[in-house]
Amino acid sequence: MGRILLAAFAVILVLLLAMNAPTTTSPTSGTSHEIQPAPAEDKASLRTLQARYKALSKQLAQLTPNQPYILVDTARNRLYVKRQDEIVLDAIASTGSGTILDKPGEGNNQWVFDTPRGEFLVKSKLTNPTWIKPDWAFVEEGLAVPQNAVDRAEQGVLGDYALGFGKGYFIHGTLYTRLLGKNVTHGCIRLNDNDLKGVYKLARVGTPIMIF
Amino acid sequence: MNFCAILLLLALAAPGWGKEPEAFPDLNPNNLHELKEATRVLEEEIKLAARPQTYLLIDLSASTILIKGRGIGLHQIPIATWSAGPQEALKGVHRLMARPPVVRRKIEPGAAVEQEPISVADMPTDYVLTFTPPLSLTVVPSVGNDGLFRSAVLLGKVGWHNVQDWVAQFFADQPVEPSSYLRLTLTADHAQSLAWSLVDGMALVIRRSSDK
Repeated sequence: MGRILLAAFAVILVLLLAMNAPTTTSPTSGTSHEIQPAPAEDKASLRTLQARYKALSKQLAQLTPNQPYILVDTARNRLYVKRQDEIVLDAIASTGSGTILDKPGEGNNQWVFDTPRGEFLVKSKLTNPTWIKPDWAFVEEGLAVPQNAVDRAEQGVLGDYALGFGKGYFIHGTLYTRLLGKNVTHGCIRLNDNDLKGVYKLARVGTPIMIF
Repeated sequence: MNFCAILLLLALAAPGWGKEPEAFPDLNPNNLHELKEATRVLEEEIKLAARPQTYLLIDLSASTILIKGRGIGLHQIPIATWSAGPQEALKGVHRLMARPPVVRRKIEPGAAVEQEPISVADMPTDYVLTFTPPLSLTVVPSVGNDGLFRSAVLLGKVGWHNVQDWVAQFFADQPVEPSSYLRLTLTADHAQSLAWSLVDGMALVIRRSSDK
């Protein structure tokens, strides 16, 4: 009787062990996050690729600016100064209106008042800037474009500072602070006095400006 | 003592994935296919990030669109659903050749009333982007309150592309490669946000998913 019980116990034990044994079948879902046993050749490829992936990730990280950079979101009219992932300054801005104006006497040529998208650099830093009004400023107001350069100069409309980023585009101040947060400019980026001062202090000639 | 020494050895031998910069945090480092794809994308992206420009990374694995510059994610747009043609055709760097036209408002010189600026809300929610090498990227808004109509349009677009491929193959003397396409479903806001941020000639790199 005892032998029979012992045999039955052994059979049950073997069955239980078999049920709990790990299966070697491959996952049916095929999702990529399950670790599958790989042959030796694959393991070597895996190690090589892991090292390559690490090296490339590092290489990409090294391309990010070490110094502070300016980020402009034209859809939401925000300007940030960032250092790596840290936001150093967060400002409400005004960017390009996207409207158009015909160039007189030039057929279908038009000015398009967009803030340019892409990557730029701070090319100049000015204090007490004078606005040299471009042709469109006169055409828009229905005025004749002056022949004399002196007639284009206007003081006090750009604020205390201006940071140029090429092709006549600037980050500057504004008299119309109630319009901050809206797309109202001719392509330049407007800030209030305090934020402009902050950006002027943080940015250097060569600071990257990313605009999207 | 021996136990401590073993722990120290294990710590030193560990790959240390968390400490290094990681381009794709969702990546399973033990999956050969995922690693191959990630390294391919990184090789392409490093070339783009080395130049002063913004570019698009469509990450089908993480279901996100990233507007990037210098390797930094400037803006992230989630993808609700996606489908694609032959995945082989999604490799490489594509350049944006055609995007939906923007209806711009014209300024009347000397007009007393200022022209309304364009905003993200003026951007389309349903559009096709054309890239070279040939890739057609269709953006459709996810189904909202106007569900039935949107669903019908979406099904029509998907079906029409398949019919075009089928007709081209049926009448061709020689076998025709199915055209490469990618269809993204985004929320209406995100579709407009993407349309707003696009720049002519913008580079696109796609990280393909091993799940589909």
